[in-house]
Amino acid sequence: MREQHSPPRAFLRGIPITVWMLCLVAVPLGYTFLISFFQVEGMQIAAKVTLKNYGLFFTDSMYSGILLKSILLALAIAVLSILAGYPLAYMLSFRVRRGKQALFMLSIIPLWVSYLVRIIAWRTILGNKGVINSALTALGLIQEPLSFLLYNRFAVAVTLTYICIPFVFIPVYTALEKIPRNIMEASSDLGAGEFRTFFNVVLPLSLPGLVTGFIFAFIIALGDYIIPQQLGGTQGMMFGNLIWSQFGFAFNWPFGAALSFILLAISVTILGLTSRFGSTEGGFLSE
Amino acid sequence: MSRKGNRGIGLKAYGFFVYFFLYFPLLIVLLFSFSPTKTIVGISGFTLKWYQELLRDGNLLTAFVNTLLIGAGAVAIAVVLGMAGAFFVSRVRFPGKSVFRTLVLLPYILPGILMGISLLVVIKALNIPLSPLTVLLGHVSFTVPVVMFQIMSRIARMGPNYQAAAMDLGATPVQTFWYVTLPMIRTALIGAALLAFTVSFDEIVISYFLTGTWMTLPVYIYGMMRYGLSPKVYAISAIILCLSLALIMLMTRYTGRSADVYRVRPRHE
Repeated sequence: MREQHSPPRAFLRGIPITVWMLCLVAVPLGYTFLISFFQVEGMQIAAKVTLKNYGLFFTDSMYSGILLKSILLALAIAVLSILAGYPLAYMLSFRVRRGKQALFMLSIIPLWVSYLVRIIAWRTILGNKGVINSALTALGLIQEPLSFLLYNRFAVAVTLTYICIPFVFIPVYTALEKIPRNIMEASSDLGAGEFRTFFNVVLPLSLPGLVTGFIFAFIIALGDYIIPQQLGGTQGMMFGNLIWSQFGFAFNWPFGAALSFILLAISVTILGLTSRFGSTEGGFLSE
Repeated sequence: MSRKGNRGIGLKAYGFFVYFFLYFPLLIVLLFSFSPTKTIVGISGFTLKWYQELLRDGNLLTAFVNTLLIGAGAVAIAVVLGMAGAFFVSRVRFPGKSVFRTLVLLPYILPGILMGISLLVVIKALNIPLSPLTVLLGHVSFTVPVVMFQIMSRIARMGPNYQAAAMDLGATPVQTFWYVTLPMIRTALIGAALLAFTVSFDEIVISYFLTGTWMTLPVYIYGMMRYGLSPKVYAISAIILCLSLALIMLMTRYTGRSADVYRVRPRHE
Protein backbone atom coordinates (compact mmCIF):
# COMPACT_ATOMS: atom_id res chain seq x y z
CA MET A 1 0.00 0.00 0.00
CA ARG A 2 1.28 3.39 -0.99
CA GLU A 3 -0.38 5.41 1.73
CA GLN A 4 -0.62 3.62 5.04
CA HIS A 5 -0.72 6.75 7.15
CA SER A 6 -1.91 10.07 5.89
CA PRO A 7 0.69 12.80 6.32
CA PRO A 8 -0.15 15.32 9.04
CA ARG A 9 -0.68 18.00 6.38
CA ALA A 10 -3.67 16.04 5.03
CA PHE A 11 -5.51 16.68 8.25
CA LEU A 12 -5.70 20.40 7.49
CA ARG A 13 -8.50 19.52 5.11
CA GLY A 14 -10.46 18.17 8.03
CA ILE A 15 -10.48 21.44 9.95
CA PRO A 16 -13.59 23.09 8.43
CA ILE A 17 -15.82 20.05 8.80
CA THR A 18 -14.54 19.38 12.32
CA VAL A 19 -15.25 22.97 13.37
CA TRP A 20 -18.73 22.68 11.87
CA MET A 21 -19.32 19.42 13.69
CA LEU A 22 -18.16 20.77 17.03
CA CYS A 23 -20.18 23.99 16.79
CA LEU A 24 -23.41 22.68 15.32
CA VAL A 25 -23.57 19.04 16.42
CA ALA A 26 -21.31 18.05 19.32
CA VAL A 27 -21.54 21.18 21.49
CA PRO A 28 -25.33 21.66 21.12
CA LEU A 29 -26.09 18.00 21.82
CA GLY A 30 -23.56 17.92 24.66
CA TYR A 31 -24.92 21.08 26.22
CA THR A 32 -28.49 19.82 25.96
CA PHE A 33 -27.35 16.69 27.78
CA LEU A 34 -25.77 18.86 30.45
CA ILE A 35 -28.84 20.99 31.14
CA SER A 36 -30.97 17.87 31.35
CA PHE A 37 -29.37 17.56 34.80
CA PHE A 38 -30.22 21.15 35.76
CA GLN A 39 -33.44 22.50 37.23
CA VAL A 40 -35.75 25.46 36.92
CA GLU A 41 -35.92 27.96 39.76
CA GLY A 42 -38.45 30.70 39.23
CA MET A 43 -38.07 31.49 35.56
CA GLN A 44 -34.36 30.73 35.46
CA ILE A 45 -32.41 27.61 34.73
CA ALA A 46 -30.24 26.91 37.75
CA ALA A 47 -27.02 24.96 37.34
CA LYS A 48 -27.68 22.63 40.25
CA VAL A 49 -27.05 19.07 39.28
CA THR A 50 -30.03 16.81 39.85
CA LEU A 51 -31.47 13.59 38.49
CA LYS A 52 -35.05 14.61 39.14
CA ASN A 53 -35.84 15.31 35.46
CA TYR A 54 -35.12 11.72 34.57
CA GLY A 55 -36.74 10.62 37.81
CA LEU A 56 -39.94 12.46 36.89
CA PHE A 57 -40.05 10.73 33.52
CA PHE A 58 -39.58 7.25 34.93
CA THR A 59 -41.91 7.65 37.90
CA ASP A 60 -44.83 9.56 36.36
CA SER A 61 -46.60 7.07 34.17
CA MET A 62 -48.20 9.85 32.14
CA TYR A 63 -44.86 10.65 30.49
CA SER A 64 -43.67 7.11 29.96
CA GLY A 65 -47.19 6.28 28.77
CA ILE A 66 -46.95 8.87 26.01
CA LEU A 67 -43.56 7.49 24.99
CA LEU A 68 -44.93 3.95 24.86
CA LYS A 69 -47.93 5.07 22.84
CA SER A 70 -45.66 6.94 20.46
CA ILE A 71 -43.38 3.94 20.02
CA LEU A 72 -46.34 1.71 19.19
CA LEU A 73 -47.75 4.24 16.74
CA ALA A 74 -44.33 4.70 15.13
CA LEU A 75 -43.99 0.92 14.79
CA ALA A 76 -47.40 0.74 13.13
CA ILE A 77 -46.43 3.56 10.78
CA ALA A 78 -43.15 1.83 9.89
CA VAL A 79 -45.03 -1.41 9.13
CA LEU A 80 -47.61 0.42 7.01
CA SER A 81 -44.86 2.23 5.12
CA ILE A 82 -43.23 -1.09 4.32
CA LEU A 83 -46.55 -2.59 3.22
CA ALA A 84 -46.86 0.28 0.76
CA GLY A 85 -43.21 0.83 -0.16
CA TYR A 86 -41.88 -2.72 -0.47
CA PRO A 87 -44.36 -3.97 -3.10
CA LEU A 88 -43.81 -0.75 -5.03
CA ALA A 89 -40.04 -1.31 -5.06
CA TYR A 90 -40.51 -4.98 -5.94
CA MET A 91 -42.83 -4.14 -8.80
CA LEU A 92 -40.44 -1.56 -10.19
CA SER A 93 -37.39 -3.78 -9.85
CA PHE A 94 -38.82 -7.01 -11.24
CA ARG A 95 -42.00 -6.38 -13.14
CA VAL A 96 -41.63 -3.13 -15.01
CA ARG A 97 -39.60 -2.63 -18.16
CA ARG A 98 -41.29 0.15 -20.07
CA GLY A 99 -41.58 3.46 -18.27
CA LYS A 100 -39.34 2.26 -15.45
CA GLN A 101 -37.44 5.54 -15.22
CA ALA A 102 -40.66 7.58 -15.06
CA LEU A 103 -42.13 5.36 -12.34
CA PHE A 104 -38.86 5.50 -10.43
CA MET A 105 -39.03 9.29 -10.48
CA LEU A 106 -42.67 9.19 -9.38
CA SER A 107 -41.62 7.05 -6.43
CA ILE A 108 -38.80 9.26 -5.19
CA ILE A 109 -40.24 12.73 -5.90
CA PRO A 110 -42.48 12.67 -2.79
CA LEU A 111 -39.33 12.45 -0.69
CA TRP A 112 -38.51 16.08 -1.43
CA VAL A 113 -41.92 17.60 -2.00
CA SER A 114 -42.71 20.10 0.71
CA TYR A 115 -43.49 18.53 4.06
CA LEU A 116 -45.87 21.35 5.02
CA VAL A 117 -47.78 21.15 1.74
CA ARG A 118 -48.38 17.46 2.33
CA ILE A 119 -49.74 18.18 5.81
CA ILE A 120 -52.05 20.80 4.33
CA ALA A 121 -53.20 18.26 1.76
CA TRP A 122 -54.13 15.66 4.37
CA ARG A 123 -55.93 18.14 6.56
CA THR A 124 -57.95 19.04 3.50
CA ILE A 125 -58.76 15.44 2.70
CA LEU A 126 -59.60 14.24 6.20
CA GLY A 127 -61.29 17.33 7.64
CA ASN A 128 -64.91 17.61 8.74
CA LYS A 129 -65.74 19.53 5.61
CA GLY A 130 -62.90 17.79 3.83
CA VAL A 131 -62.71 15.89 0.58
CA ILE A 132 -63.77 12.49 1.93
CA ASN A 133 -66.62 13.76 4.08
CA SER A 134 -68.10 16.07 1.49
CA ALA A 135 -67.85 13.41 -1.20
CA LEU A 136 -69.59 10.82 1.00
CA THR A 137 -72.28 13.33 2.01
CA ALA A 138 -72.92 14.28 -1.59
CA LEU A 139 -73.29 10.62 -2.51
CA GLY A 140 -75.84 10.31 0.27
CA LEU A 141 -73.82 7.64 2.06
CA ILE A 142 -73.56 9.59 5.29
CA GLN A 143 -75.63 12.32 6.91
CA GLU A 144 -73.16 13.61 9.46
CA PRO A 145 -69.46 14.03 8.65
CA LEU A 146 -67.29 11.16 9.85
CA SER A 147 -65.44 12.53 12.84
CA PHE A 148 -62.94 9.69 13.19
CA LEU A 149 -60.96 10.92 10.18
CA LEU A 150 -59.22 13.93 11.69
CA TYR A 151 -57.70 14.94 15.04
CA ASN A 152 -56.77 11.49 16.23
CA ARG A 153 -54.14 8.78 15.88
CA PHE A 154 -55.62 7.59 12.60
CA ALA A 155 -54.93 10.90 10.87
CA VAL A 156 -51.39 10.98 12.28
CA ALA A 157 -50.75 7.42 11.08
CA VAL A 158 -52.05 8.09 7.57
CA THR A 159 -50.07 11.29 7.12
CA LEU A 160 -46.83 9.95 8.59
CA THR A 161 -47.11 6.78 6.51
CA TYR A 162 -47.53 9.02 3.50
CA ILE A 163 -44.35 10.90 4.46
CA CYS A 164 -42.40 7.70 5.15
CA ILE A 165 -43.18 5.65 2.03
CA PRO A 166 -40.32 7.06 -0.09
CA PHE A 167 -37.95 6.54 2.84
CA VAL A 168 -38.75 2.83 2.62
CA PHE A 169 -38.90 2.67 -1.15
CA ILE A 170 -35.35 3.92 -1.83
CA PRO A 171 -33.34 1.53 0.36
CA VAL A 172 -35.55 -1.44 -0.57
CA TYR A 173 -35.31 -0.67 -4.27
CA THR A 174 -31.53 -0.28 -3.97
CA ALA A 175 -31.28 -3.68 -2.26
CA LEU A 176 -33.55 -5.39 -4.80
CA GLU A 177 -31.58 -3.99 -7.74
CA LYS A 178 -28.40 -5.45 -6.27
CA ILE A 179 -29.75 -9.00 -6.34
CA PRO A 180 -28.05 -10.77 -9.26
CA ARG A 181 -30.79 -11.88 -11.62
CA ASN A 182 -29.12 -15.23 -12.33
CA ILE A 183 -29.66 -16.27 -8.70
CA MET A 184 -33.39 -15.97 -9.27
CA GLU A 185 -33.13 -17.92 -12.51
CA ALA A 186 -31.24 -20.61 -10.63
CA SER A 187 -33.99 -20.73 -8.03
CA SER A 188 -36.68 -21.11 -10.65
CA ASP A 189 -34.60 -23.68 -12.62
CA LEU A 190 -34.39 -25.74 -9.46
CA GLY A 191 -38.15 -25.83 -9.34
CA ALA A 192 -39.03 -23.08 -6.87
CA GLY A 193 -42.22 -21.24 -7.60
CA GLU A 194 -42.59 -17.50 -7.53
CA PHE A 195 -43.56 -17.35 -3.86
CA ARG A 196 -40.85 -19.72 -2.78
CA THR A 197 -38.24 -17.74 -4.71
CA PHE A 198 -39.51 -14.59 -3.06
CA PHE A 199 -39.41 -15.91 0.49
CA ASN A 200 -36.22 -17.94 0.20
CA VAL A 201 -34.15 -15.74 -2.11
CA VAL A 202 -35.45 -12.22 -2.65
CA LEU A 203 -36.67 -11.37 0.82
CA PRO A 204 -33.51 -12.47 2.68
CA LEU A 205 -31.29 -10.64 0.18
CA SER A 206 -33.33 -7.46 0.44
CA LEU A 207 -33.33 -7.53 4.23
CA PRO A 208 -30.64 -4.81 4.63
CA GLY A 209 -32.77 -2.39 2.60
CA LEU A 210 -35.90 -3.42 4.45
CA VAL A 211 -34.27 -2.85 7.84
CA THR A 212 -32.88 0.54 6.77
CA GLY A 213 -36.29 1.64 5.49
CA PHE A 214 -38.02 0.41 8.61
CA ILE A 215 -35.62 2.29 10.89
CA PHE A 216 -35.93 5.51 8.93
CA ALA A 217 -39.72 5.34 8.99
CA PHE A 218 -39.68 4.54 12.71
CA ILE A 219 -37.35 7.39 13.67
CA ILE A 220 -39.17 9.93 11.51
CA ALA A 221 -42.51 8.92 12.98
CA LEU A 222 -41.27 8.83 16.57
CA GLY A 223 -39.64 12.26 16.45
CA ASP A 224 -42.28 14.20 14.57
CA TYR A 225 -44.23 16.90 16.38
CA ILE A 226 -45.75 18.99 13.59
CA ILE A 227 -48.03 16.32 12.16
CA PRO A 228 -49.48 15.32 15.55
CA GLN A 229 -49.98 19.01 16.31
CA GLN A 230 -51.75 19.64 13.02
CA LEU A 231 -53.76 16.44 12.67
CA GLY A 232 -53.56 14.56 15.94
CA GLY A 233 -55.84 16.44 18.30
CA THR A 234 -55.47 15.47 21.94
CA GLN A 235 -55.62 11.73 21.29
CA GLY A 236 -52.86 11.85 18.70
CA MET A 237 -50.35 13.65 20.91
CA MET A 238 -46.91 12.14 20.58
CA PHE A 239 -43.58 12.22 22.38
CA GLY A 240 -42.34 15.03 20.12
CA ASN A 241 -45.24 17.23 21.27
CA LEU A 242 -44.38 16.51 24.87
CA ILE A 243 -40.80 17.68 24.28
CA TRP A 244 -42.04 20.68 22.30
CA SER A 245 -44.41 21.76 25.06
CA GLN A 246 -41.55 21.92 27.58
CA PHE A 247 -39.95 24.58 25.39
CA GLY A 248 -43.25 26.36 24.86
CA PHE A 249 -45.82 27.10 27.51
CA ALA A 250 -44.57 24.63 30.13
CA PHE A 251 -41.19 26.39 30.08
CA ASN A 252 -39.24 23.60 31.66
CA TRP A 253 -36.18 23.40 29.47
CA PRO A 254 -34.20 21.00 31.68
CA PHE A 255 -37.09 18.51 31.67
CA GLY A 256 -37.48 19.04 27.90
CA ALA A 257 -33.75 18.41 27.50
CA ALA A 258 -34.05 15.18 29.48
CA LEU A 259 -36.96 14.05 27.28
CA SER A 260 -34.90 15.00 24.20
CA PHE A 261 -32.10 12.85 25.46
CA ILE A 262 -34.37 9.89 25.93
CA LEU A 263 -35.47 10.30 22.30
CA LEU A 264 -31.85 10.68 21.21
CA ALA A 265 -30.82 7.56 23.10
CA ILE A 266 -33.59 5.55 21.45
CA SER A 267 -32.72 6.86 17.97
CA VAL A 268 -28.98 6.34 18.31
CA THR A 269 -29.39 2.85 19.78
CA ILE A 270 -31.59 1.76 16.90
CA LEU A 271 -29.30 3.35 14.33
CA GLY A 272 -26.31 1.67 15.94
CA LEU A 273 -27.99 -1.73 15.96
CA THR A 274 -28.89 -1.45 12.30
CA SER A 275 -25.70 0.08 10.96
CA ARG A 276 -24.35 -3.45 10.71
CA PHE A 277 -27.24 -4.37 8.41
CA GLY A 278 -27.64 -1.48 6.06
CA SER A 279 -26.16 1.89 5.35
CA THR A 280 -26.80 4.73 7.77
CA GLU A 281 -27.59 7.22 5.06
CA GLY A 282 -30.05 4.77 3.55
CA GLY A 283 -29.09 5.67 0.01
CA PHE A 284 -30.94 8.98 0.15
CA LEU A 285 -27.77 10.99 -0.01
CA SER A 286 -25.76 8.80 -2.34
CA GLU A 287 -26.14 9.35 -6.02
CA MET B 1 -37.04 -15.08 -16.66
CA SER B 2 -40.18 -16.55 -18.08
CA ARG B 3 -42.97 -14.09 -18.67
CA LYS B 4 -46.62 -14.92 -18.67
CA GLY B 5 -49.33 -12.57 -19.79
CA ASN B 6 -51.16 -11.71 -16.62
CA ARG B 7 -48.44 -12.45 -14.11
CA GLY B 8 -48.15 -9.86 -11.39
CA ILE B 9 -51.35 -8.09 -12.37
CA GLY B 10 -52.38 -7.90 -8.73
CA LEU B 11 -49.04 -6.43 -7.79
CA LYS B 12 -49.34 -3.81 -10.51
CA ALA B 13 -52.84 -2.89 -9.41
CA TYR B 14 -51.54 -2.51 -5.86
CA GLY B 15 -48.60 -0.44 -7.11
CA PHE B 16 -50.88 1.94 -8.93
CA PHE B 17 -53.01 2.25 -5.84
CA VAL B 18 -49.89 3.34 -3.93
CA TYR B 19 -49.09 5.89 -6.64
CA PHE B 20 -52.63 7.17 -6.37
CA PHE B 21 -52.18 7.48 -2.60
CA LEU B 22 -48.94 9.40 -3.17
CA TYR B 23 -50.24 11.87 -5.74
CA PHE B 24 -53.92 12.36 -4.98
CA PRO B 25 -53.23 14.71 -2.02
CA LEU B 26 -50.95 16.86 -4.16
CA LEU B 27 -53.62 17.14 -6.86
CA ILE B 28 -56.13 18.19 -4.22
CA VAL B 29 -53.90 21.10 -3.20
CA LEU B 30 -53.54 22.22 -6.82
CA LEU B 31 -57.28 21.91 -7.38
CA PHE B 32 -58.19 23.90 -4.27
CA SER B 33 -55.81 26.70 -5.19
CA PHE B 34 -57.86 27.41 -8.32
CA SER B 35 -61.27 26.83 -6.79
CA PRO B 36 -63.62 29.73 -6.00
CA THR B 37 -65.30 27.64 -3.29
CA LYS B 38 -63.82 25.75 -0.37
CA THR B 39 -65.51 22.39 -0.94
CA ILE B 40 -64.62 19.64 -3.33
CA VAL B 41 -68.16 18.67 -4.26
CA GLY B 42 -69.70 20.92 -6.81
CA ILE B 43 -66.36 22.50 -7.45
CA SER B 44 -67.13 24.86 -10.25
CA GLY B 45 -65.30 27.51 -12.05
CA PHE B 46 -61.74 28.54 -12.00
CA THR B 47 -60.19 31.51 -10.31
CA LEU B 48 -56.83 33.10 -9.90
CA LYS B 49 -57.96 35.44 -7.17
CA TRP B 50 -56.13 33.55 -4.38
CA TYR B 51 -52.91 33.98 -6.29
CA GLN B 52 -53.66 37.69 -6.69
CA GLU B 53 -54.24 37.88 -2.95
CA LEU B 54 -50.82 36.39 -2.34
CA LEU B 55 -49.24 39.25 -4.25
CA ARG B 56 -50.96 41.71 -1.94
CA ASP B 57 -49.67 39.98 1.20
CA GLY B 58 -46.46 41.89 1.86
CA ASN B 59 -45.41 39.75 4.84
CA LEU B 60 -45.75 36.60 2.81
CA LEU B 61 -43.65 37.99 0.00
CA THR B 62 -41.00 39.05 2.49
CA ALA B 63 -41.02 35.57 4.02
CA PHE B 64 -40.63 34.10 0.53
CA VAL B 65 -37.58 36.27 -0.18
CA ASN B 66 -36.19 35.41 3.27
CA THR B 67 -36.46 31.71 2.46
CA LEU B 68 -34.56 32.17 -0.79
CA LEU B 69 -31.84 34.13 1.02
CA ILE B 70 -31.47 31.52 3.76
CA GLY B 71 -31.39 28.76 1.14
CA ALA B 72 -28.72 30.52 -0.91
CA GLY B 73 -26.61 31.30 2.15
CA ALA B 74 -26.91 27.82 3.63
CA VAL B 75 -26.10 26.16 0.30
CA ALA B 76 -23.05 28.36 -0.28
CA ILE B 77 -21.65 27.46 3.14
CA ALA B 78 -22.66 23.81 2.89
CA VAL B 79 -20.98 23.39 -0.49
CA VAL B 80 -17.63 24.63 0.81
CA LEU B 81 -17.81 22.69 4.10
CA GLY B 82 -19.34 19.61 2.49
CA MET B 83 -16.77 19.43 -0.29
CA ALA B 84 -13.82 19.85 2.06
CA GLY B 85 -15.37 17.31 4.41
CA ALA B 86 -16.04 14.83 1.61
CA PHE B 87 -12.42 14.84 0.47
CA PHE B 88 -11.23 14.63 4.03
CA VAL B 89 -13.32 11.59 4.89
CA SER B 90 -12.79 9.91 1.52
CA ARG B 91 -9.06 10.42 1.18
CA VAL B 92 -7.52 10.75 4.61
CA ARG B 93 -6.96 7.73 6.79
CA PHE B 94 -7.60 8.24 10.46
CA PRO B 95 -8.87 6.16 13.36
CA GLY B 96 -12.53 6.49 14.28
CA LYS B 97 -13.54 7.43 10.76
CA SER B 98 -16.86 5.59 10.87
CA VAL B 99 -17.80 7.39 14.08
CA PHE B 100 -16.84 10.67 12.42
CA ARG B 101 -19.06 9.86 9.42
CA THR B 102 -21.98 9.06 11.68
CA LEU B 103 -21.54 12.28 13.64
CA VAL B 104 -21.62 14.29 10.42
CA LEU B 105 -24.79 12.51 9.42
CA LEU B 106 -26.59 13.15 12.72
CA PRO B 107 -28.23 16.48 11.80
CA TYR B 108 -29.75 14.76 8.79
CA ILE B 109 -30.95 11.53 10.38
CA LEU B 110 -31.88 12.61 13.90
CA PRO B 111 -35.41 13.85 14.46
CA GLY B 112 -35.42 17.55 13.58
CA ILE B 113 -36.81 18.46 16.99
CA LEU B 114 -33.55 17.31 18.62
CA MET B 115 -31.38 19.50 16.41
CA GLY B 116 -33.76 22.43 16.76
CA ILE B 117 -33.88 22.23 20.53
CA SER B 118 -30.18 21.67 21.10
CA LEU B 119 -29.26 24.60 18.84
CA LEU B 120 -31.85 26.77 20.60
CA VAL B 121 -30.50 25.85 24.02
CA VAL B 122 -26.93 26.81 23.07
CA ILE B 123 -28.03 29.99 21.32
CA LYS B 124 -29.95 31.08 24.39
CA ALA B 125 -27.06 30.19 26.70
CA LEU B 126 -24.79 32.43 24.63
CA ASN B 127 -27.39 35.22 24.80
CA ILE B 128 -27.62 35.41 21.03
CA PRO B 129 -31.00 36.86 19.98
CA LEU B 130 -33.05 34.88 17.46
CA SER B 131 -32.34 36.39 14.07
CA PRO B 132 -31.72 35.47 10.44
CA LEU B 133 -28.29 34.33 11.59
CA THR B 134 -29.68 31.69 13.96
CA VAL B 135 -31.99 30.38 11.22
CA LEU B 136 -28.99 30.23 8.89
CA LEU B 137 -27.02 28.22 11.47
CA GLY B 138 -29.87 25.74 11.70
CA HIS B 139 -29.98 25.35 7.94
CA VAL B 140 -26.22 24.93 7.71
CA SER B 141 -26.49 22.07 10.22
CA PHE B 142 -28.58 19.82 7.99
CA THR B 143 -27.45 20.93 4.52
CA VAL B 144 -23.79 20.01 5.17
CA PRO B 145 -24.44 16.25 5.41
CA VAL B 146 -26.68 16.46 2.34
CA VAL B 147 -23.87 17.95 0.24
CA MET B 148 -21.07 15.96 1.82
CA PHE B 149 -22.56 12.52 1.30
CA GLN B 150 -23.54 13.22 -2.31
CA ILE B 151 -19.97 14.27 -3.11
CA MET B 152 -18.52 11.34 -1.16
CA SER B 153 -20.45 8.91 -3.30
CA ARG B 154 -19.12 10.60 -6.46
CA ILE B 155 -15.55 10.45 -5.11
CA ALA B 156 -16.00 6.76 -4.33
CA ARG B 157 -17.03 6.07 -7.93
CA MET B 158 -14.21 8.20 -9.32
CA GLY B 159 -11.32 6.40 -7.60
CA PRO B 160 -7.95 7.99 -6.70
CA ASN B 161 -6.09 7.21 -9.94
CA TYR B 162 -6.89 10.37 -11.87
CA GLN B 163 -5.45 12.61 -9.22
CA ALA B 164 -2.42 10.38 -8.84
CA ALA B 165 -1.86 10.55 -12.60
CA ALA B 166 -2.13 14.32 -12.64
CA MET B 167 0.35 14.64 -9.78
CA ASP B 168 2.74 12.17 -11.47
CA LEU B 169 2.63 14.35 -14.58
CA GLY B 170 3.76 17.30 -12.51
CA ALA B 171 0.55 19.12 -11.65
CA THR B 172 0.50 20.99 -8.38
CA PRO B 173 -2.25 20.13 -5.89
CA VAL B 174 -4.09 23.30 -6.89
CA GLN B 175 -3.81 22.48 -10.61
CA THR B 176 -4.91 18.91 -9.95
CA PHE B 177 -7.97 20.11 -8.11
CA TRP B 178 -8.87 22.77 -10.67
CA TYR B 179 -8.24 20.83 -13.90
CA VAL B 180 -8.91 17.23 -12.86
CA THR B 181 -10.94 16.85 -9.69
CA LEU B 182 -13.34 19.75 -9.99
CA PRO B 183 -14.54 18.92 -13.55
CA MET B 184 -15.12 15.33 -12.41
CA ILE B 185 -17.27 16.27 -9.43
CA ARG B 186 -18.90 19.32 -11.04
CA THR B 187 -22.26 17.69 -11.75
CA ALA B 188 -22.36 16.08 -8.31
CA LEU B 189 -21.67 19.49 -6.80
CA ILE B 190 -24.52 21.13 -8.73
CA GLY B 191 -26.87 18.27 -7.89
CA ALA B 192 -25.94 18.38 -4.22
CA ALA B 193 -26.42 22.15 -4.10
CA LEU B 194 -29.86 21.85 -5.69
CA LEU B 195 -30.86 19.08 -3.29
CA ALA B 196 -29.62 21.08 -0.30
CA PHE B 197 -31.56 24.09 -1.52
CA THR B 198 -34.73 22.01 -1.95
CA VAL B 199 -34.39 20.65 1.59
CA SER B 200 -33.70 24.11 3.00
CA PHE B 201 -36.53 25.71 1.04
CA ASP B 202 -39.23 23.83 2.87
CA GLU B 203 -37.62 23.08 6.22
CA ILE B 204 -39.81 23.90 9.21
CA VAL B 205 -39.05 21.52 12.08
CA ILE B 206 -35.66 23.03 12.96
CA SER B 207 -36.41 26.57 11.72
CA TYR B 208 -39.44 26.74 14.00
CA PHE B 209 -37.22 26.79 17.09
CA LEU B 210 -34.69 29.25 15.71
CA THR B 211 -37.02 31.83 14.21
CA GLY B 212 -37.80 35.12 15.89
CA THR B 213 -39.79 37.74 14.08
CA TRP B 214 -37.76 37.29 10.91
CA MET B 215 -39.59 34.37 9.31
CA THR B 216 -39.00 31.95 6.50
CA LEU B 217 -41.95 31.00 4.29
CA PRO B 218 -42.76 27.61 5.91
CA VAL B 219 -42.78 29.18 9.38
CA TYR B 220 -45.03 31.97 8.10
CA ILE B 221 -47.44 29.51 6.48
CA TYR B 222 -47.44 27.45 9.64
CA GLY B 223 -48.60 30.56 11.47
CA MET B 224 -51.34 31.10 8.89
CA MET B 225 -52.54 27.52 9.39
CA ARG B 226 -53.45 28.26 12.99
CA TYR B 227 -56.52 30.08 11.72
CA GLY B 228 -57.66 27.25 9.48
CA LEU B 229 -56.77 26.61 5.89
CA SER B 230 -57.55 29.69 3.88
CA PRO B 231 -57.62 29.53 0.07
CA LYS B 232 -54.49 31.64 0.16
CA VAL B 233 -52.70 28.76 1.91
CA TYR B 234 -53.60 26.53 -1.04
CA ALA B 235 -52.31 29.07 -3.53
CA ILE B 236 -48.94 29.43 -1.84
CA SER B 237 -48.80 25.63 -1.36
CA ALA B 238 -49.36 25.13 -5.07
CA ILE B 239 -46.53 27.51 -5.87
CA ILE B 240 -44.20 25.73 -3.42
CA LEU B 241 -45.21 22.39 -4.93
CA CYS B 242 -44.35 23.51 -8.44
CA LEU B 243 -41.07 25.07 -7.34
CA SER B 244 -40.01 21.89 -5.50
CA LEU B 245 -40.91 19.77 -8.52
CA ALA B 246 -38.84 22.01 -10.79
CA LEU B 247 -35.88 21.83 -8.39
CA ILE B 248 -36.12 18.04 -8.10
CA MET B 249 -36.27 17.62 -11.87
CA LEU B 250 -33.25 19.86 -12.29
CA MET B 251 -31.40 18.01 -9.55
CA THR B 252 -31.92 14.57 -11.05
CA ARG B 253 -30.42 15.80 -14.31
CA TYR B 254 -27.13 16.43 -12.54
CA THR B 255 -26.87 13.46 -10.23
CA GLY B 256 -26.76 9.88 -11.38
CA ARG B 257 -30.17 9.21 -9.87
CA SER B 258 -31.88 6.88 -12.27
CA ALA B 259 -33.77 3.64 -12.09
CA ASP B 260 -30.78 1.57 -13.26
CA VAL B 261 -28.00 3.18 -11.31
CA TYR B 262 -28.11 0.67 -8.46
CA ARG B 263 -28.02 -2.45 -10.59
CA VAL B 264 -24.96 -4.59 -10.23
CA ARG B 265 -23.70 -5.44 -13.69
CA PRO B 266 -21.98 -8.71 -14.59
CA ARG B 267 -18.24 -8.15 -14.65
CA HIS B 268 -17.65 -9.46 -18.17
CA GLU B 269 -20.25 -8.09 -20.47
